[in-house]
Amino acid sequence: MRKESGPTGRCPDIDITPYPIEEPGQSRLRLFQVLITLLPAALAIPLFLCAGPIYALLALSVAAVSFMVAGYYIGRIARANEQKCKLDLQLIQSQKLAAIGELSSGIAHEINNPLAIIGQEVEWMKHLMKEAGCGSNTPVGGMSEFNDSLIEIGRQVDRCREITHKLLDFARKKEPLIQAVDMNRLIEDMAKLVEKEARQRNVLIERNYQADLPLVRTDPPLLRQVVLNLLNNANWAIEDRGVITISTMRAGKNAVEFMVSDTGCGIPPENLDKIFDPFFTTKPPGKGTGLGLSICHGIISKLGGSISVDSEVGKGTTFTVHLPAETTKGNN
Amino acid sequence: MSEFRVLIVDDEIDFLETLVKRLKKRKLDAVGVASGEKALDILDRERFDVVILDVRMPGLDGIETLKEIKRRTPLTEVIMLTGHASVESGMQGMQSGAFDYVIKPAGIDDLIEKLNQARERKLLHEERIRSDRKVP
Ligand SMILES: Nc1ncnc2c1ncn2[C@@H]1O[C@H](COP(=O)(O)OP(=O)(O)OP(=O)(O)O)[C@@H](O)[C@H]1O
Ligand SMILES: [Mg+2]
Repeated sequence: MRKESGPTGRCPDIDITPYPIEEPGQSRLRLFQVLITLLPAALAIPLFLCAGPIYALLALSVAAVSFMVAGYYIGRIARANEQKCKLDLQLIQSQKLAAIGELSSGIAHEINNPLAIIGQEVEWMKHLMKEAGCGSNTPVGGMSEFNDSLIEIGRQVDRCREITHKLLDFARKKEPLIQAVDMNRLIEDMAKLVEKEARQRNVLIERNYQADLPLVRTDPPLLRQVVLNLLNNANWAIEDRGVITISTMRAGKNAVEFMVSDTGCGIPPENLDKIFDPFFTTKPPGKGTGLGLSICHGIISKLGGSISVDSEVGKGTTFTVHLPAETTKGNN
Repeated sequence: MSEFRVLIVDDEIDFLETLVKRLKKRKLDAVGVASGEKALDILDRERFDVVILDVRMPGLDGIETLKEIKRRTPLTEVIMLTGHASVESGMQGMQSGAFDYVIKPAGIDDLIEKLNQARERKLLHEERIRSDRKVP
Protein backbone atom coordinates (compact mmCIF):
# COMPACT_ATOMS: atom_id res chain seq x y z
CA MET A 1 0.00 0.00 0.00
CA ARG A 2 1.22 3.46 -0.78
CA LYS A 3 0.59 6.54 1.18
CA GLU A 4 0.63 9.89 -0.51
CA SER A 5 1.60 11.90 2.52
CA GLY A 6 1.15 11.97 6.27
CA PRO A 7 3.51 11.81 9.22
CA THR A 8 4.65 8.27 8.46
CA GLY A 9 5.68 9.06 4.88
CA ARG A 10 9.37 8.86 4.20
CA CYS A 11 9.71 12.22 2.57
CA PRO A 12 8.14 15.30 4.05
CA ASP A 13 5.68 17.13 1.90
CA ILE A 14 6.92 20.39 0.59
CA ASP A 15 3.98 22.68 0.28
CA ILE A 16 4.65 25.19 -2.40
CA THR A 17 1.12 25.87 -3.47
CA PRO A 18 0.29 29.56 -3.20
CA TYR A 19 -1.70 30.46 -0.10
CA PRO A 20 -5.26 31.47 -0.90
CA ILE A 21 -5.67 35.15 -1.44
CA GLU A 22 -8.84 36.82 -0.24
CA GLU A 23 -11.24 38.07 -2.84
CA PRO A 24 -11.27 41.85 -2.99
CA GLY A 25 -14.51 41.75 -0.95
CA GLN A 26 -16.54 43.55 -3.58
CA SER A 27 -19.88 42.74 -1.95
CA ARG A 28 -18.82 44.13 1.41
CA LEU A 29 -17.73 47.35 -0.26
CA ARG A 30 -21.04 47.61 -2.08
CA LEU A 31 -22.91 47.25 1.23
CA PHE A 32 -20.93 50.22 2.49
CA GLN A 33 -22.06 52.23 -0.49
CA VAL A 34 -25.70 51.43 0.22
CA LEU A 35 -25.29 52.41 3.89
CA ILE A 36 -23.77 55.77 3.02
CA THR A 37 -26.68 56.43 0.68
CA LEU A 38 -29.35 55.27 3.11
CA LEU A 39 -28.28 57.72 5.79
CA PRO A 40 -29.35 60.95 4.00
CA ALA A 41 -32.22 59.07 2.35
CA ALA A 42 -33.58 58.06 5.75
CA LEU A 43 -33.26 61.63 6.97
CA ALA A 44 -35.67 62.65 4.23
CA ILE A 45 -38.66 61.22 6.10
CA PRO A 46 -38.33 63.20 9.38
CA LEU A 47 -37.33 66.26 7.35
CA PHE A 48 -40.47 65.87 5.25
CA LEU A 49 -42.59 65.67 8.39
CA CYS A 50 -40.93 68.56 10.25
CA ALA A 51 -39.65 70.96 7.60
CA GLY A 52 -41.66 70.28 4.47
CA PRO A 53 -41.07 68.64 1.09
CA ILE A 54 -38.32 70.99 -0.09
CA TYR A 55 -35.95 69.84 2.61
CA ALA A 56 -36.87 66.25 1.97
CA LEU A 57 -36.01 66.66 -1.72
CA LEU A 58 -32.72 68.22 -0.73
CA ALA A 59 -31.94 65.23 1.46
CA LEU A 60 -32.82 62.88 -1.40
CA SER A 61 -30.51 64.64 -3.81
CA VAL A 62 -27.76 64.52 -1.23
CA ALA A 63 -28.45 60.80 -1.06
CA ALA A 64 -28.16 60.49 -4.85
CA VAL A 65 -24.89 62.39 -4.92
CA SER A 66 -23.40 60.34 -2.11
CA PHE A 67 -24.46 57.17 -3.93
CA MET A 68 -22.50 58.18 -6.97
CA VAL A 69 -19.45 59.49 -5.12
CA ALA A 70 -19.27 56.41 -2.92
CA GLY A 71 -19.68 54.21 -6.00
CA TYR A 72 -16.78 55.94 -7.71
CA TYR A 73 -14.40 55.58 -4.79
CA ILE A 74 -15.42 52.04 -4.07
CA GLY A 75 -14.74 51.14 -7.70
CA ARG A 76 -11.28 52.61 -7.36
CA ILE A 77 -10.58 50.77 -4.14
CA ALA A 78 -11.73 47.51 -5.70
CA ARG A 79 -9.47 48.02 -8.70
CA ALA A 80 -6.46 48.82 -6.53
CA ASN A 81 -7.20 45.75 -4.49
CA GLU A 82 -7.37 43.57 -7.55
CA GLN A 83 -4.05 44.90 -8.80
CA LYS A 84 -2.42 44.16 -5.49
CA CYS A 85 -3.71 40.60 -5.61
CA LYS A 86 -2.28 40.19 -9.08
CA LEU A 87 1.11 41.45 -7.96
CA ASP A 88 1.00 39.17 -4.93
CA LEU A 89 0.27 36.22 -7.18
CA GLN A 90 3.16 37.15 -9.45
CA LEU A 91 5.48 37.38 -6.48
CA ILE A 92 4.38 34.01 -5.15
CA GLN A 93 4.79 32.55 -8.61
CA SER A 94 8.35 33.84 -8.86
CA GLN A 95 9.26 32.58 -5.42
CA LYS A 96 7.76 29.22 -6.13
CA LEU A 97 9.68 28.96 -9.38
CA ALA A 98 12.91 30.01 -7.71
CA ALA A 99 12.44 27.30 -5.08
CA ILE A 100 11.68 24.64 -7.66
CA GLY A 101 14.60 25.84 -9.77
CA GLU A 102 16.97 25.46 -6.85
CA LEU A 103 15.74 21.96 -6.10
CA SER A 104 15.73 20.74 -9.67
CA SER A 105 19.16 22.05 -10.57
CA GLY A 106 20.50 20.15 -7.57
CA ILE A 107 18.89 16.98 -8.83
CA ALA A 108 20.01 17.61 -12.40
CA HIS A 109 23.61 18.00 -11.25
CA GLU A 110 23.48 14.75 -9.32
CA ILE A 111 21.98 12.85 -12.21
CA ASN A 112 24.29 14.27 -14.84
CA ASN A 113 27.39 12.47 -13.63
CA PRO A 114 26.01 8.92 -13.55
CA LEU A 115 24.35 9.70 -16.86
CA ALA A 116 27.67 10.65 -18.41
CA ILE A 117 29.18 7.40 -17.15
CA ILE A 118 26.33 5.31 -18.56
CA GLY A 119 26.81 7.06 -21.90
CA GLN A 120 30.54 6.35 -21.88
CA GLU A 121 30.02 2.70 -21.02
CA VAL A 122 27.54 2.34 -23.86
CA GLU A 123 30.09 3.77 -26.28
CA TRP A 124 32.72 1.41 -24.89
CA MET A 125 30.46 -1.61 -25.28
CA LYS A 126 29.67 -0.64 -28.86
CA HIS A 127 33.38 -0.39 -29.49
CA LEU A 128 34.02 -3.83 -27.98
CA MET A 129 31.26 -5.31 -30.12
CA LYS A 130 32.84 -3.89 -33.23
CA GLU A 131 36.25 -5.24 -32.26
CA ALA A 132 34.76 -8.68 -31.70
CA GLY A 133 33.36 -8.51 -35.23
CA CYS A 134 29.72 -8.21 -34.34
CA GLY A 135 29.08 -4.53 -34.98
CA SER A 136 25.71 -3.21 -35.99
CA ASN A 137 25.93 -4.53 -39.57
CA THR A 138 26.81 -8.14 -38.79
CA PRO A 139 23.69 -9.89 -37.58
CA VAL A 140 25.42 -12.81 -35.83
CA GLY A 141 22.85 -14.74 -33.84
CA GLY A 142 21.55 -12.87 -30.82
CA MET A 143 24.23 -10.25 -31.20
CA SER A 144 22.19 -8.00 -33.47
CA GLU A 145 19.55 -7.74 -30.78
CA PHE A 146 22.25 -7.00 -28.27
CA ASN A 147 23.37 -4.16 -30.51
CA ASP A 148 19.84 -2.79 -30.85
CA SER A 149 19.54 -2.72 -27.08
CA LEU A 150 22.77 -0.78 -26.78
CA ILE A 151 21.59 1.76 -29.32
CA GLU A 152 18.30 2.15 -27.47
CA ILE A 153 20.11 2.71 -24.16
CA GLY A 154 22.21 5.35 -25.83
CA ARG A 155 19.10 7.05 -27.18
CA GLN A 156 17.40 7.13 -23.81
CA VAL A 157 20.53 8.46 -22.13
CA ASP A 158 20.53 11.27 -24.67
CA ARG A 159 16.93 12.03 -23.82
CA CYS A 160 17.67 12.22 -20.11
CA ARG A 161 20.65 14.40 -20.80
CA GLU A 162 18.52 16.79 -22.81
CA ILE A 163 16.14 17.13 -19.88
CA THR A 164 18.83 17.68 -17.27
CA HIS A 165 20.45 20.29 -19.49
CA LYS A 166 17.17 22.12 -19.89
CA LEU A 167 16.71 22.02 -16.14
CA LEU A 168 20.17 23.39 -15.47
CA ASP A 169 19.48 26.05 -18.04
CA PHE A 170 16.27 26.98 -16.29
CA ALA A 171 18.03 27.42 -12.98
CA ARG A 172 21.19 28.94 -14.36
CA LYS A 173 22.23 32.10 -12.65
CA LYS A 174 24.16 33.45 -15.60
CA GLU A 175 23.69 37.16 -15.99
CA PRO A 176 22.22 38.25 -19.31
CA LEU A 177 24.40 40.19 -21.75
CA ILE A 178 22.55 43.34 -22.68
CA GLN A 179 22.48 44.70 -26.24
CA ALA A 180 20.27 47.10 -28.14
CA VAL A 181 17.67 45.11 -30.03
CA ASP A 182 15.08 45.91 -32.67
CA MET A 183 12.33 43.80 -31.21
CA ASN A 184 10.16 43.76 -34.33
CA ARG A 185 12.96 42.24 -36.31
CA LEU A 186 13.92 39.74 -33.69
CA ILE A 187 10.34 38.54 -33.47
CA GLU A 188 9.88 38.48 -37.23
CA ASP A 189 12.95 36.24 -37.62
CA MET A 190 11.43 33.70 -35.26
CA ALA A 191 7.98 34.04 -36.87
CA LYS A 192 9.47 33.08 -40.24
CA LEU A 193 10.96 30.01 -38.69
CA VAL A 194 7.61 28.85 -37.34
CA GLU A 195 5.58 29.99 -40.33
CA LYS A 196 6.57 27.22 -42.70
CA GLU A 197 5.43 24.46 -40.38
CA ALA A 198 2.35 26.42 -39.35
CA ARG A 199 1.22 26.93 -42.92
CA GLN A 200 1.29 23.21 -43.61
CA ARG A 201 -1.44 22.88 -41.01
CA ASN A 202 -3.41 25.89 -42.29
CA VAL A 203 -2.29 28.06 -39.42
CA LEU A 204 -1.78 31.65 -40.49
CA ILE A 205 0.53 34.09 -38.76
CA GLU A 206 -0.71 37.66 -38.56
CA ARG A 207 1.59 40.54 -37.75
CA ASN A 208 0.71 43.62 -35.85
CA TYR A 209 4.02 45.35 -35.35
CA GLN A 210 4.18 48.90 -34.10
CA ALA A 211 6.47 50.69 -36.50
CA ASP A 212 8.31 53.22 -34.32
CA LEU A 213 9.12 50.92 -31.45
CA PRO A 214 12.06 52.05 -29.32
CA LEU A 215 15.09 49.80 -29.22
CA VAL A 216 15.02 47.40 -26.32
CA ARG A 217 18.10 46.75 -24.25
CA THR A 218 17.98 43.08 -23.65
CA ASP A 219 19.73 39.76 -24.20
CA PRO A 220 18.92 38.83 -27.82
CA PRO A 221 19.42 35.05 -27.79
CA LEU A 222 17.48 34.71 -24.55
CA LEU A 223 14.61 36.74 -25.96
CA ARG A 224 14.64 34.65 -29.13
CA GLN A 225 14.22 31.57 -27.00
CA VAL A 226 11.16 33.07 -25.34
CA VAL A 227 9.54 34.10 -28.62
CA LEU A 228 10.21 30.73 -30.18
CA ASN A 229 8.74 28.88 -27.22
CA LEU A 230 5.58 30.99 -27.22
CA LEU A 231 5.13 30.62 -30.97
CA ASN A 232 5.68 26.91 -30.78
CA ASN A 233 3.12 26.55 -27.99
CA ALA A 234 0.61 28.63 -29.96
CA ASN A 235 1.18 26.52 -33.05
CA TRP A 236 0.70 23.36 -31.04
CA ALA A 237 -2.53 24.63 -29.46
CA ILE A 238 -4.20 24.98 -32.85
CA GLU A 239 -5.24 21.60 -34.13
CA ASP A 240 -5.99 22.58 -37.68
CA ARG A 241 -6.84 25.90 -39.23
CA GLY A 242 -6.40 28.95 -37.08
CA VAL A 243 -4.54 32.17 -36.59
CA ILE A 244 -1.54 33.17 -34.54
CA THR A 245 -1.35 36.92 -34.03
CA ILE A 246 1.88 38.59 -33.02
CA SER A 247 1.72 42.17 -31.82
CA THR A 248 4.29 44.59 -30.53
CA MET A 249 3.61 47.93 -28.90
CA ARG A 250 4.93 50.63 -26.71
CA ALA A 251 3.71 50.36 -23.13
CA GLY A 252 4.02 53.73 -21.51
CA LYS A 253 7.23 55.68 -21.71
CA ASN A 254 9.81 53.15 -20.70
CA ALA A 255 8.49 49.80 -21.72
CA VAL A 256 7.49 47.73 -24.69
CA GLU A 257 5.17 44.80 -24.92
CA PHE A 258 4.68 41.93 -27.26
CA MET A 259 1.82 39.49 -27.44
CA VAL A 260 1.41 36.08 -28.97
CA SER A 261 -2.25 35.14 -29.40
CA ASP A 262 -3.68 31.98 -30.85
CA THR A 263 -7.12 30.70 -31.73
CA GLY A 264 -6.28 27.33 -30.23
CA CYS A 265 -7.72 25.08 -27.55
CA GLY A 266 -7.25 27.47 -24.64
CA ILE A 267 -6.19 26.67 -21.08
CA PRO A 268 -8.72 25.59 -18.44
CA PRO A 269 -8.80 28.01 -15.48
CA GLU A 270 -7.56 25.38 -13.03
CA ASN A 271 -4.34 25.02 -15.06
CA LEU A 272 -3.63 28.71 -15.45
CA ASP A 273 -1.44 29.00 -12.37
CA LYS A 274 0.41 25.79 -13.14
CA ILE A 275 1.56 26.33 -16.72
CA PHE A 276 4.72 28.17 -15.66
CA ASP A 277 5.77 25.35 -13.34
CA PRO A 278 8.57 23.15 -14.58
CA PHE A 279 7.32 19.79 -15.84
CA PHE A 280 3.71 20.85 -16.07
CA THR A 281 2.54 19.63 -19.44
CA THR A 282 -0.66 18.34 -21.01
CA LYS A 283 1.20 16.85 -23.93
CA PRO A 284 1.49 13.06 -24.18
CA PRO A 285 4.57 11.55 -22.52
CA GLY A 286 7.68 11.96 -24.60
CA LYS A 287 6.18 14.85 -26.57
CA GLY A 288 6.74 17.74 -24.18
CA THR A 289 8.90 18.19 -21.13
CA GLY A 290 6.81 20.99 -19.70
CA LEU A 291 9.88 23.17 -19.35
CA GLY A 292 9.14 25.64 -22.14
CA LEU A 293 7.11 28.17 -20.21
CA SER A 294 9.14 27.86 -17.01
CA ILE A 295 12.25 28.69 -19.01
CA CYS A 296 10.40 31.66 -20.55
CA HIS A 297 9.34 32.88 -17.12
CA GLY A 298 12.88 32.56 -15.79
CA ILE A 299 14.36 34.45 -18.74
CA ILE A 300 11.82 37.27 -18.65
CA SER A 301 12.28 37.81 -14.91
CA LYS A 302 16.03 37.89 -15.44
CA LEU A 303 15.51 40.53 -18.11
CA GLY A 304 13.51 42.64 -15.67
CA GLY A 305 10.17 42.09 -17.37
CA SER A 306 7.03 40.11 -16.73
CA ILE A 307 4.95 37.56 -18.58
CA SER A 308 1.25 36.94 -18.19
CA VAL A 309 -1.42 34.81 -19.75
CA ASP A 310 -5.05 35.23 -20.67
CA SER A 311 -7.04 32.33 -21.95
CA GLU A 312 -10.48 31.00 -22.65
CA VAL A 313 -11.13 27.35 -23.35
CA GLY A 314 -12.23 26.82 -26.93
CA LYS A 315 -11.44 30.41 -27.91
CA GLY A 316 -7.71 30.80 -27.56
CA THR A 317 -4.81 32.07 -25.52
CA THR A 318 -2.77 35.25 -25.31
CA PHE A 319 0.64 35.54 -23.74
CA THR A 320 1.82 39.07 -23.01
CA VAL A 321 5.45 39.92 -22.34
CA HIS A 322 6.33 43.26 -20.84
CA LEU A 323 9.92 44.45 -21.14
CA PRO A 324 11.68 47.59 -19.97
CA ALA A 325 13.03 49.76 -22.80
CA GLU A 326 15.84 52.08 -21.84
CA THR A 327 15.56 54.45 -24.72
CA THR A 328 17.67 57.14 -23.09
CA LYS A 329 20.84 55.11 -23.23
CA GLY A 330 20.51 54.88 -26.99
CA ASN A 331 21.93 52.17 -29.15
CA ASN A 332 25.51 51.64 -28.06
CA MET B 1 40.67 46.72 -32.74
CA SER B 2 41.83 43.36 -34.01
CA GLU B 3 40.39 41.93 -37.19
CA PHE B 4 36.93 40.44 -37.27
CA ARG B 5 37.38 36.74 -37.97
CA VAL B 6 34.49 34.63 -39.17
CA LEU B 7 34.44 30.89 -39.73
CA ILE B 8 31.82 29.53 -42.12
CA VAL B 9 30.88 25.88 -41.96
CA ASP B 10 28.76 24.39 -44.74
CA ASP B 11 28.92 21.19 -46.76
CA GLU B 12 27.59 22.97 -49.84
CA ILE B 13 30.87 24.04 -51.38
CA ASP B 14 29.40 26.54 -53.86
CA PHE B 15 27.51 28.35 -51.17
CA LEU B 16 30.52 28.28 -48.88
CA GLU B 17 32.88 29.80 -51.43
CA THR B 18 30.45 32.52 -52.47
CA LEU B 19 29.79 33.56 -48.90
CA VAL B 20 33.50 33.64 -48.02
CA LYS B 21 34.15 35.81 -51.06
CA ARG B 22 31.33 38.22 -50.26
CA LEU B 23 32.36 38.62 -46.64
CA LYS B 24 35.96 39.20 -47.63
CA LYS B 25 34.80 41.94 -49.95
CA ARG B 26 33.28 43.58 -46.88
CA LYS B 27 36.64 43.47 -45.14
CA LEU B 28 35.88 40.57 -42.87
CA ASP B 29 38.51 37.90 -42.42
CA ALA B 30 36.37 34.95 -43.49
CA VAL B 31 37.46 31.32 -43.66
CA GLY B 32 35.34 28.40 -44.89
CA VAL B 33 35.39 24.71 -43.99
CA ALA B 34 33.08 21.98 -45.24
CA SER B 35 32.27 19.91 -42.14
CA GLY B 36 31.69 20.04 -38.42
CA GLU B 37 34.78 17.98 -37.75
CA LYS B 38 36.96 20.37 -39.76
CA ALA B 39 35.39 23.29 -37.92
CA LEU B 40 36.34 21.87 -34.51
CA ASP B 41 39.79 21.18 -35.86
CA ILE B 42 40.49 24.69 -37.04
CA LEU B 43 38.88 26.20 -33.93
CA ASP B 44 41.42 24.28 -31.86
CA ARG B 45 44.23 26.00 -33.67
CA GLU B 46 42.93 29.44 -34.54
CA ARG B 47 40.88 32.18 -32.98
CA PHE B 48 37.55 33.17 -34.52
CA ASP B 49 34.99 35.68 -33.25
CA VAL B 50 31.89 34.25 -34.82
CA VAL B 51 31.03 30.97 -36.52
CA ILE B 52 28.31 30.62 -39.16
CA LEU B 53 27.13 27.06 -39.00
CA ASP B 54 24.96 25.03 -41.35
CA VAL B 55 22.45 22.81 -39.54
CA ARG B 56 22.25 19.83 -41.88
CA MET B 57 25.61 18.31 -42.61
CA PRO B 58 26.78 14.74 -43.04
CA GLY B 59 28.92 13.50 -40.15
CA LEU B 60 28.84 15.79 -37.17
CA ASP B 61 25.67 17.82 -37.72
CA GLY B 62 25.17 21.49 -36.95
CA ILE B 63 23.60 21.09 -33.52
CA GLU B 64 26.25 18.64 -32.34
CA THR B 65 28.99 20.90 -33.65
CA LEU B 66 27.39 23.87 -31.91
CA LYS B 67 27.29 22.05 -28.59
CA GLU B 68 30.91 21.03 -28.93
CA ILE B 69 32.01 24.56 -29.84
CA LYS B 70 30.14 25.97 -26.85
CA ARG B 71 31.71 23.36 -24.60
CA ARG B 72 35.25 24.05 -25.76
CA THR B 73 35.14 27.82 -26.26
CA PRO B 74 31.98 29.23 -24.72
CA LEU B 75 32.84 32.77 -25.80
CA THR B 76 32.71 31.96 -29.50
CA GLU B 77 29.34 33.10 -30.83
CA VAL B 78 27.57 30.86 -33.30
CA ILE B 79 24.93 31.79 -35.88
CA MET B 80 23.00 28.85 -37.29
CA LEU B 81 22.21 29.23 -40.98
CA THR B 82 19.94 26.72 -42.60
CA GLY B 83 17.94 26.00 -45.71
CA HIS B 84 15.77 23.43 -43.97
CA ALA B 85 14.29 25.40 -41.13
CA SER B 86 12.54 23.35 -38.52
CA VAL B 87 11.10 24.68 -35.30
CA GLU B 88 12.47 21.69 -33.46
CA SER B 89 16.05 22.31 -34.48
CA GLY B 90 15.60 26.05 -33.99
CA MET B 91 14.59 25.45 -30.39
CA GLN B 92 17.47 23.05 -29.93
CA GLY B 93 19.91 25.50 -31.43
CA MET B 94 18.82 28.43 -29.29
CA GLN B 95 18.74 26.17 -26.25
CA SER B 96 22.27 25.02 -26.91
CA GLY B 97 23.64 28.53 -26.93
CA ALA B 98 23.38 29.74 -30.52
CA PHE B 99 23.28 33.51 -30.95
CA ASP B 100 20.77 33.36 -33.77
CA TYR B 101 19.01 30.98 -36.10
CA VAL B 102 18.75 32.27 -39.63
CA ILE B 103 16.91 30.88 -42.61
CA LYS B 104 18.57 30.73 -46.05
CA PRO B 105 18.59 32.70 -48.20
CA ALA B 106 19.69 35.56 -46.01
CA GLY B 107 20.65 38.93 -47.48
CA ILE B 108 24.30 39.78 -47.10
CA ASP B 109 23.52 43.04 -45.28
CA ASP B 110 21.26 41.25 -42.86
CA LEU B 111 23.88 38.65 -42.24
CA ILE B 112 26.59 41.23 -41.65
CA GLU B 113 24.41 43.04 -39.16
CA LYS B 114 23.85 39.81 -37.29
CA LEU B 115 27.56 39.08 -37.40
CA ASN B 116 28.27 42.48 -35.90
CA GLN B 117 25.78 41.93 -33.12
CA ALA B 118 27.22 38.52 -32.39
CA ARG B 119 30.68 40.01 -32.23
CA GLU B 120 29.48 42.82 -29.97
CA ARG B 121 28.13 40.17 -27.63
CA LYS B 122 31.43 38.37 -27.58
CA LEU B 123 33.27 41.58 -26.72
CA LEU B 124 30.76 42.34 -23.95
CA HIS B 125 31.27 38.87 -22.60
CA GLU B 126 35.05 39.23 -22.58
CA GLU B 127 34.76 42.61 -20.93
CA ARG B 128 32.59 41.19 -18.17
CA ILE B 129 34.98 38.35 -17.49
CA ARG B 130 37.89 40.79 -17.28
CA SER B 131 36.07 43.04 -14.82
CA ASP B 132 34.96 40.02 -12.77
CA ARG B 133 38.57 39.01 -12.40
CA LYS B 134 39.59 42.45 -11.18
CA VAL B 135 37.03 42.52 -8.39
CA PRO B 136 37.58 39.42 -6.25
N1 LIG C 1 -0.84 28.68 -26.37
C1 LIG C 1 -1.30 27.70 -25.56
N2 LIG C 1 -2.57 27.24 -25.69
C2 LIG C 1 -3.04 26.26 -24.89
N3 LIG C 1 -2.32 25.68 -23.91
C3 LIG C 1 -1.05 26.09 -23.73
C4 LIG C 1 -0.48 27.12 -24.53
N4 LIG C 1 0.79 27.34 -24.11
C5 LIG C 1 1.00 26.47 -23.09
N5 LIG C 1 -0.10 25.72 -22.86
C6 LIG C 1 -0.26 24.70 -21.81
O1 LIG C 1 0.79 24.83 -20.88
C7 LIG C 1 1.52 23.61 -20.78
C8 LIG C 1 2.96 23.90 -20.45
O2 LIG C 1 3.59 24.54 -21.54
P1 LIG C 1 5.18 24.47 -21.67
O3 LIG C 1 5.58 25.22 -22.87
O4 LIG C 1 5.79 24.86 -20.38
O5 LIG C 1 5.46 22.92 -21.84
P2 LIG C 1 5.06 21.98 -23.06
O6 LIG C 1 4.80 22.83 -24.27
O7 LIG C 1 4.01 21.07 -22.62
O8 LIG C 1 6.39 21.15 -23.27
P3 LIG C 1 7.76 21.68 -23.99
O9 LIG C 1 7.64 23.16 -24.12
O10 LIG C 1 8.82 21.27 -23.05
O11 LIG C 1 7.78 20.98 -25.27
C9 LIG C 1 1.26 22.90 -22.08
O12 LIG C 1 1.40 21.53 -21.96
C10 LIG C 1 -0.18 23.31 -22.38
O13 LIG C 1 -1.08 22.52 -21.65
MG1 LIG D 1 6.17 24.45 -24.91
